[in-house]
This record gives sequence, structure tokens and C-alpha cells, in this order.
Amino acid sequence: MPPRTCALCNDARAILKRPKTGQQICKECFFYVFETEVHNTITEARLFKPGDRVAIGASGGKDSTVLAHVMKTLNERYKYGLELFLLSIDEGITGYRDDSLETVKRNQQQYDMPLKILSYDELYGWTMDAIVAQIGKKNNCTFCGVFRRQALDRGAAILNVDHIVTGHNADDIAETVLMNIMRGDIARLGRCTSICTQGEDTIKRSKPFKYAYEKEIVMYAYFKKLDYFSTECIYSPDAYRGHARAFLKDLEAARPSAIIDIIHSGEAFEIKEDVKATQKIQQTCRRCGYMSSNELCKACTLLEGLERGMATAAVTDRARKRLDADGPAPENLRTIPMFQLPSAPRQKPTTTAVEGTT
Amino acid sequence: MSCGNPTTEPDALMQRRKKYDKTKNCVKCKDTQGNIVIRHAVYCKNCFIPLLVHKFRRTLEPSVNPKPDGPRRTALKPAGNLLVGLSGGLGSSVLLDLIYKCYIALDKSTMPAEGGRDHPRHERVWKKVTVCYVEVCDAFPGMKDRTEEIARFVSRYDELDFVPLRIQDAFDRTWWEKTGRKASFSDMGVSLSDESLLIESLSAGHPDPLTALRTYLSSLPTPTAIHTSIQILTRVLLLHTALQTSSSHLLLGTSLTSLAVSLISGVAQGAGFNVREETMEEWTPDPETRPTPDVVLDDVKDGADKGKKQLKRTVRVVRPLRDIGMKECAAWAWWSHIPIVGKEKWVWPGAKPGIGTLTKDFILGLEQDYPSTVSTIVRTCGKLAPKGEVSGKCILCGRPAQRGVQEWKARISIRSQPPPPPADPTDGSAPPVPVVPESKSDTRPSLTPYLCYPCHTTLTSRSARPVPSPWPNAAQASVVALPVWTEARLGAGAGGEPSPADEEIMVAKKMGQAEMKGIVNEFLLDD
Repeated sequence: MPPRTCALCNDARAILKRPKTGQQICKECFFYVFETEVHNTITEARLFKPGDRVAIGASGGKDSTVLAHVMKTLNERYKYGLELFLLSIDEGITGYRDDSLETVKRNQQQYDMPLKILSYDELYGWTMDAIVAQIGKKNNCTFCGVFRRQALDRGAAILNVDHIVTGHNADDIAETVLMNIMRGDIARLGRCTSICTQGEDTIKRSKPFKYAYEKEIVMYAYFKKLDYFSTECIYSPDAYRGHARAFLKDLEAARPSAIIDIIHSGEAFEIKEDVKATQKIQQTCRRCGYMSSNELCKACTLLEGLERGMATAAVTDRARKRLDADGPAPENLRTIPMFQLPSAPRQKPTTTAVEGTT
Repeated sequence: MSCGNPTTEPDALMQRRKKYDKTKNCVKCKDTQGNIVIRHAVYCKNCFIPLLVHKFRRTLEPSVNPKPDGPRRTALKPAGNLLVGLSGGLGSSVLLDLIYKCYIALDKSTMPAEGGRDHPRHERVWKKVTVCYVEVCDAFPGMKDRTEEIARFVSRYDELDFVPLRIQDAFDRTWWEKTGRKASFSDMGVSLSDESLLIESLSAGHPDPLTALRTYLSSLPTPTAIHTSIQILTRVLLLHTALQTSSSHLLLGTSLTSLAVSLISGVAQGAGFNVREETMEEWTPDPETRPTPDVVLDDVKDGADKGKKQLKRTVRVVRPLRDIGMKECAAWAWWSHIPIVGKEKWVWPGAKPGIGTLTKDFILGLEQDYPSTVSTIVRTCGKLAPKGEVSGKCILCGRPAQRGVQEWKARISIRSQPPPPPADPTDGSAPPVPVVPESKSDTRPSLTPYLCYPCHTTLTSRSARPVPSPWPNAAQASVVALPVWTEARLGAGAGGEPSPADEEIMVAKKMGQAEMKGIVNEFLLDD
């Protein structure tokens, strides 16, 4: 059989089949469409303004490694005018994070971007190893997830950046849409397909890989010869998310467009107005100043539980009541430092958002 | 370490999880030993029966009167007759049994005690009740025809009309005419071989309905598309039958479990905009596909709509079992001795399971570990509303289509634009031209602008590997015939369709100088 020509340029030899569209295309066209689709995502959502300081959430895994590469490429090609940083969180899991942090440090050299590594130990006084030693392997993902979200914001505040970009890809978002429907998390369902989230008290956070298939990210890293660490967390995976992920893979095998179709579904509905009215109003944690749905934010509640030896306090309502019944928090309780948004006024060019016309 | 021996070591066996929360006694009457556990709550048979009837009535009755939330305690007055969709499966069989007992036989065991003998509740609600069955056996090789079995099942209940249809009726112009519509449209079809979905003429004329059905199904790109298309054809056949029988309501036997499956399956196929329609739907026929008035007037003389204008007819699709799980339906069927005819799986040699089948297996499996899953899915989806503007109705499924879906698709997956010349970012040259969604330079008529997102995906989204066709020996046609209601709208120039920009897709006429002048007249200066 003669070699197939690329379905896009009709010239070079096709060497891959795009997981997203099924088209057989050449390597150069693949790079072009992959990068251009990310550029389209950025310009359509007007994510950045020239002069923005942007932190790339870097774990050393495939998504963030490719994100750092693509952000640097697009920033130069389309003259976004961004100042890029790498921001890593060290959860303190021996054997899991050590190697991948080395990748991040290499990226710092390759891309000439400043790097900030912030550890759970430094911020909360607890490593994930120590947390698991106290609470066991069940529910520890709750701690890790809550602590990481805050840690990224706090790291970004230290770097004095305007914006954090993360490597969440289309598969992650589709999986989250399904999971939120199946477990009835209406608040998260309403916001999980937003490309950009920003509250009054948080740093702008966005997902430029929102429409990028995980397989294509791996393919991009492979053809660009980017090295990354593929490490599964050594502590127990979130069982429910595991179910949703396996289901999504089955759907993708049945029809590859399923991932993008689920995201389209998520974007095509919204929470009814009368339901929105019953949602909790966001407030500020009285202990650490971070955004919260209750008086105390989830991270402070989790930390108090750990410090007082009642680690499940923020995991179940019953445990929270037990903690409250046990009396007020002791005076000398270790707490998270007060959160402050980056406030140092910087001179910014008075230009409009990065658009397709730059 | 050896395996434990359960006979000598009591700890060797895992403790069996209790299926119920507290006691084995019924949670309602408290003193009878229970017969069924529904999500950890125990019920005896005597309490379960009225509970299920209550759930059924509670879901259906608020939707009976034309104004859904109007006073209904005293009277249920629907605007027309009733059509029940029967598939032969558990849900629709239980639904028919409940409809019959509650609204036709007026079985006392299904009536609430209060109200007295002359309470309006004891009057018949729908004057005429029709049962419609769509036989799909001709869509798959080796499938048994169950029409006779279904007819026998329906005949158990008196005072019901029975309308058997076949799935290929969707391609049958004779059936279309029987429903009171005109079938004088040209022989147009669609090319399903590429993503452009070009509308072309059927070179060999309109095929017979069975050939048209099989060619259509064989041309679809995935097993998911075949399953979904049959569901759509069945649904729209039922809707037109409802119109034909002057029915204001079409009831479907979708249980809580099947509703959860169809919601997730719909989301996985891009139907998030139509989540609301999965639960309840008001369907109005397109102006060009409405029955001609003289045919309708014949029905009106006998129906509940006597004296009413028919041109604004709508059919309300209700799923009265949407609060009742599959297990409860099975218990009702068992205790009521309902002989379920059953349905065969839609399979053919070499076919992989589609999204619908995968979703069903997944949800049923998940429910074992998380018993409230189906109820959570349905409640969550009940809190959602469509976002964005409606751009008319889909020409294939008849549901509201969201505006701008093709632009969205073009933006997130580039499919045709050639790459610009490689530019070295470090050489200081000008950046490449930014990419905008491709403009539609192809002016040939296409079905694409008239499709909703899920239907467009159904017709165009391909599997990574080739898919075996259910009818490999069916004549492969480059252009396939479309369902009659789609042809009817195309024949009428997709009238009433606002998308895209009300362009006429079937008529290409040369503009005369005078017409052009009329359009630009206000911009022309006097000589």
C-alpha cells in the first residue's frame, strides 16, 4: 500500500492518526494544529493581557511539561508579552515527587523560567507521608487535593503573579463532568467546564489544555522529545474518580469524540437560577483569610483535625461535629499563615487582552 | 500464609453487608415482615403497591392538564387523547399496566381512599388510549419479529387501540401520507461518506423503505450512531403517531434507572443542551410537516379537541416512571403477573458495544456499590437548564438545537486548514497569521447547519477502527435516503429554520438585476 499523504497539507507523508479527529497527518501539521488549537483556546477566552505575570503549575508530569513548552512557544510566536514562571508543589511523598521535581528543575534551565517550589511541610507543617501515617490510606486524597489548591495560590502570591495556568486536559475535564453529575455535586458541575476561574479573593486560574486530548499531549511530548515522569501516586487512588476514568476510556474507545462531546455537554447547560440561589455564599476563612464556604476553610479544618488527632474532622459531617463537641481549638494550635493576594502595584501596559489579531 | 477455612475459623469469611438499615419489618406499617428492600428501606407487599401507585400518579398528574401547575385536585382534563409507547420491555409493560388500572379500569386498589365515590378522580381522564409499538427487527440480522406477541400482550387490556409500526416506516412515504401529510417532495438524500454531509439527489430514485433503512444504518460511522439513530427514529415515529391519534400526551416507560442511563449517555454524546427534554418534552410539529387540516378535522370530531384549532397542537412527552427504579418495576411486574414480552439486544456480528450499552453496564455496576447513583444522576440533571441561544429545531431529531455549534467545533479541532510556512520564533520575523474558524467557502447545500450537535456527531464522528455493518451485503450507496420528516422539511426549504441566517439550502436561483437593485437600493445614488 502506498504511504498516505497528510490530510492537512496533502504533501508530506502522514505518520500519525490524530486521536481527536481520526485524521492521518504528518508530524509538522500535528505540531501546528495542536499548538494552534491551544492558541485558539487562549485567544477565544481572552485569557491574558500583555505584561501579565503567569505561573505554570508544574508537577514534572506530561501535562505540565508540555504546557510549559507550548506556553513558551506561543508566547514567542504570537508575542503575548507574558512573563512566565514555574510553580511546583512538593507534597512530601517520598519516591513520588523527588524524580518529577528534577524534571521541573531541568525545565527551569531549558526554558529559562524562574522556578518556585513550595512544600506542604513549609506551608502546613505536615508532609503527605506524615498525614498518611496518621490517617491511613483512606481519604488522604481529600487532604492532598485541598492542600494543593491553597498551596498553588499561596505560591502564586509569593511569586506575585496575576495568573496560574494548569495542565488540566480534556480527559480530566470530561471525567470531572461525569463525576460531578454522578455524585450530585451541582456547584462543581456548574464551574468545572469554565476555562478560567477567579473569585474576588483568589488568583485567576485557567486551563489552556481544556480541549487537548491526553493522548495528543503524550504524542506531542513524544515527537518533541520532551522528557517527563509518569508516576502514579503511591497512596490509594480516589476510587470514585477511578471508576469515572475507566468509564471515560471505554467511551473514548467506542467513539473518540466522546471526550470533547462530554465537554460540549458541560458547556451547553448551566445550573437553574432557583438552584443557584440555594448555593452557599463564598466568604473568607476567619483563620487564614483564604476563600471558604464556611467560617473556617477546608484546609484549616483539616489541619486542625490533624493537629488535634481527629484527622477525619473535615471529611465527614459527623466527625466535624465531634471536633466541635471536643471544645474550641487550643490557643497554640499550628495554623496556616494569613493569605494575601499579590497586591504590589505593578506598572502594566494599558493594552487589551491577547487576541487573535496580535 | 494459607487461605482461611470458614468451617473452623469464623473470621475467614467476610461479614455480609446488611441490605437494609434497621429492621426486617416494613418501614410503613412496622409490623409485617418486609418483602422488598428499596435503597435500604424495607417494604411489605401491601405497602409497596400503594407506594408505587402514589409515585406514579405524583409524577404524571401534574402534567396532565394543559397548564401544568394549574389546580388539578378536582379534575384532570387533558387537551387530547393518550398514546402509550410500548417497547415490550419491563418499564413500558409496567407503565401500560398502571395506566390501565389507574385510568381505564379505575381499579379501586389504585385509588386514594379519600374523596368519595363521585369524586372527579373516578372519571376517565383520557377518552381514547392508544398503544403504539415500533418493531425494530428489520434493522438487525436474525432478530425475531415480536409484533404478534406484543399484540397479544396489549389485548390483555380492553378498551385500548393498538397501532403497530415498523422502524422502516420512518423512510416510508406511504406511512407519511397515512398520517395526513403530503409526500410530494423530491428524491434528495445525504452523502454520509464524509463530514460535509452534502445534500444530493438520489440517483436511482427513492428506494423502498426497508432498503432505505438498511442503507442508512450501514452508512453510519459507529455502533453508537446506529443505536442512537434507531432511538431517534422510534421517538419521532411515536411523536407523529401521537399527532395522528390526536393525542396530547405521549407516555414512555422510562424508569429511574433507564432515565439515568439515557441522561449520562446523552451527555457522552454531546446532548447537554437537551438534558431537559430527556425528562420532559413539549413537541410541536414543524409547520410544513403538520397534518393537512381536513385530515385532522375528521379526528377532531371524535377526539377531546373537538372545536379546538389544531394548528398549535403540541404533544407532551411524559415519563411517569421516572421516580421508580428498575427493581421496583420488576417487583410490580412479578406481583401483578405481567407477562413481559422482552426485548432483544441490538447486536450484529463483529459489533462492539456503543456508548448507550457501555453507559448502561457502567451505571448498573456502579449502583451495586453506590445504591443512590441513579437517583443522584436524575436529581442533578433536574437542576440544569440549557445555556445559550436556541437555533431552531434539529431537522433529524426535532429537538432544540444550540446556536453556534459548528463554529465551536471548527475552533477546537482544526480539520482542514493547511499549516503556514514554518516560522522560526527567534528570527524576529512577523508572527504567522492568526487562525480564525474557517469560513464556509463550500457553497454546496449541506445538512450540517440544520442539525443539532448530537445528531451531527452521530452522522460524522468515526471510530478509530472500521466498524462492521449490520448489513454488509446491503447495496452501498454514496447518497442515502433520509427519514421522511427530514425530507419533508428539506422539501419545504427547511422553512422556519433560523439557522444559519435563514439561508435557503435547496433552491439556487440566479438573482436578476432588478432584485439586486431592490436590496441595495438605499445605497445607490440618483443618476
